[in-house]
Amino acid sequence: MRLNRRLFLEQAGACGLLSLGVAPPALLSRMARAGENSANDRILVVVELAGGNDGLNTVIPYGDDVYHRSRPGIAIPQTNLLRIDDYLGLHPSLRELKDRYDNGSVAIVQGVGYPNPDRSHFRSMDIWHSAQPENESPQIGWLGAALDHDAQRRSGEMPALAIGSQERPLAVTAYDVNVPNVQSLEEYRLQPGAADAERAAARQRVLGQLADQQAPQGSDLEFLRRTTRTALQSARKIEEVLARGAGNIKYPATGLGQKLHAVSRVIASDLGTRIFFVSLGGFDTHSQQQGAHQGLLAELSGAVNAFFQDLEQQHLDERVLLVTFSEFGRRVHENGSLGTDHGAASQMFVMGPDTNGGLVGEHPSLNDLTQGDLKHHTDFRSVYATLLENWLQIPAEPVLGKQFPKLNFVST
Amino acid sequence: MNLKLRTDDPLAPAEPANRSWTRHDAAHLLRRTGFGATVTEIDRAVDEGLEATLQRRLAPQPESEEFDQVARLLRNTAHQTGSIGDLKAWWFYRMRYTANSLVERMALLWHDHFATSYGKVQSVKQMAAQNDAFRRHALGDFRELLHEMSRDVAMLVWLDGNANRKRHPNENFAREVMELFSLGIGNYTEADIIEAARAFSGWHVRKGEFWFNELQHDTGEKTVFGRTGNLNGEDVIELCLEQPACPRFIAVKLLRYFVQPEPQEELVAALADRIRAHNFQITPVLGELFRSRAFWAESSRLALIKSPVDLVVGSQRSLEVRSNLNASAEALAKLGQDLFQPPTVKGWDGGRDWISTTTMILRINFATELAGGERFGEMPHPAALARQLGAGSREEVVTQIAAFLLGREPATEETHELAAAYQQAGGDRTARIRSLLQIVLSTPDYQLT
Repeated sequence: MRLNRRLFLEQAGACGLLSLGVAPPALLSRMARAGENSANDRILVVVELAGGNDGLNTVIPYGDDVYHRSRPGIAIPQTNLLRIDDYLGLHPSLRELKDRYDNGSVAIVQGVGYPNPDRSHFRSMDIWHSAQPENESPQIGWLGAALDHDAQRRSGEMPALAIGSQERPLAVTAYDVNVPNVQSLEEYRLQPGAADAERAAARQRVLGQLADQQAPQGSDLEFLRRTTRTALQSARKIEEVLARGAGNIKYPATGLGQKLHAVSRVIASDLGTRIFFVSLGGFDTHSQQQGAHQGLLAELSGAVNAFFQDLEQQHLDERVLLVTFSEFGRRVHENGSLGTDHGAASQMFVMGPDTNGGLVGEHPSLNDLTQGDLKHHTDFRSVYATLLENWLQIPAEPVLGKQFPKLNFVST
Repeated sequence: MNLKLRTDDPLAPAEPANRSWTRHDAAHLLRRTGFGATVTEIDRAVDEGLEATLQRRLAPQPESEEFDQVARLLRNTAHQTGSIGDLKAWWFYRMRYTANSLVERMALLWHDHFATSYGKVQSVKQMAAQNDAFRRHALGDFRELLHEMSRDVAMLVWLDGNANRKRHPNENFAREVMELFSLGIGNYTEADIIEAARAFSGWHVRKGEFWFNELQHDTGEKTVFGRTGNLNGEDVIELCLEQPACPRFIAVKLLRYFVQPEPQEELVAALADRIRAHNFQITPVLGELFRSRAFWAESSRLALIKSPVDLVVGSQRSLEVRSNLNASAEALAKLGQDLFQPPTVKGWDGGRDWISTTTMILRINFATELAGGERFGEMPHPAALARQLGAGSREEVVTQIAAFLLGREPATEETHELAAAYQQAGGDRTARIRSLLQIVLSTPDYQLT
């Protein structure tokens, strides 16, 4: 059970600590904050692999003849891949990730999906973002809903952050909390213009006042004013991040490398942000997929490795869990242009020192398919439930609408 | 009975009693049918009245000699350099300086509707030719435009026309012509798409021109929307236009673009009727729309979120900034509306999707630079704006400028805040007005139109 600030003060009051005045107020509030942090300083980083990652060429069932027969043009030769056991191996581009797997800090959750899988990018992405497969036009995302249900996190100014995209992802969209999205840290600052800093600050104060006016609930004007307020607040926070400078770990010069570097800088600045969302696109490999897919997996592996090295150096790694997802896997059989078409079930990676590393669940059978696609045996909402309850310590049922069995890739 | 129906019709002309004609009303019409509005344009519209102002918007206006010359020069430059950036500058110039704002506004709507990206087409010439078609049909005939787009070279490249062959039909164009260009999802079956793709087979591009490749055209029998025969692409387009869903689909587009983000069913149905009655002629449809109660209703005022084009072109036009074309076109891209490069074949989602904390910060920075710097162009002397608005006293300057930009009278609290800011801004009158403009242009309220 989480010991939150209010609860702590109540308990302290109940046992007479407050009334006897044995603790000076400053110390009390520090203790209260420490109580909060011990439960609450955990961070979740969600990495979206957009376009539909070919899970079969990521975690490869090389021990199955069906794999090789189904993909004569694009199967990864057994000699190249990074062996996990006699049946499975990782794509050769996932070298750093494999090292971390061998160290026990990577879990691979296999056969993840949902009933009646949708093969449209837009629709399936909405389902993964909202965790509401039956809702055709979801307004909020699963992480947004978690913030809505968690009054404590909501109270922070920047409880969650999307990095690297111009639009705010649905996953972090909430009713009660406005989650900022930062395309790039460097550009996320208010320019003073020709005026001096003092006058620019004065203008921003007035703008803040004007944005603070009431507007009809649910109106576009309210939305605009709320977004402006969040923009002004978060820009001040990002100023702190920029002022602090970057660490000395070298990140790969890739899109995901830069985004995770930004995440690490925000974490290191200790602004209270607990949920991060980043995306890596390009996984829609319909033709000539080998080169492109190899590059994307190398980008993923190199970026997450640098990210954890960076956190380790700052002793922040134990606070962080990183999870990947994609809107679907791809068809078992390759298509006519050395690529793969939209499929269904696939795997998720969970990384971090607190992970119970290893394989979670069986690899789905290559002989028992629906419409040429792998069947899922683990609902993605079970993964979400585990992340919410075991890691973030937010009750999952109100967020997901019902109970899903939890998995063991991370303990409470 | 008839009379009663008439009074329930949301497209009935607004009653003169409900059709006030204040500066804000004139500005509402000008901003929705163009990009921003200058003080002079508003003054003139107030003098001339709704009908004359609307007539001028709907009828072709002569362009100045300078406009034609500069536009030609910019266009030639783009063709010579082959750089899409130069073509963006050309279109930006047209939107900023044209005497036919509604034409450019409609061209922009059709670009969004038939969203084609240079990213795949990779030809300035073909993107420019498609853009000319949008302009040519902007206030013309949607039927002709739809036909023309099915043979448009940029479109054929974009949606894999050459891959659509007799024995290997490619469904890309056939799907989008129904889903995105004429009917909307749910108004056709997968079978309709497969059959329609065969009808378009052999509609290819050769040497940069449309080419009917007879050898690759499937002349077999096809059935689309229950109609069977040796259908070709033109037949399929006509069949799409006959579907009841088609005028409705266009009606929703027009209403979201010109009136309000979530139009009610009865308004959609009424406009769809008018589109059918006018046989897809756009000018008379827009004429009715801009006179209608729906357009003048209180709930339609300041009800749309400014697109980046509304913000950048509109602000520069309203303030008569001598635009720096390249920097301004780049600003559009940064704010999320990269001309000639829409994100997907669906075009821009628009509305609230224009706004995030990142784009809000970029919008504030745009305002700061526009009114305080020269990167996006040179602003006329700020005191001239106050003079045009007839504002003398400090209080008048604040309220008149706020009212002009916000499209409504500022609330007491706002006037109070702005007046205090104006007072504290320091510097001479020019500096104070610039600072005031920076604040008002940055407000969340200014993002509405």
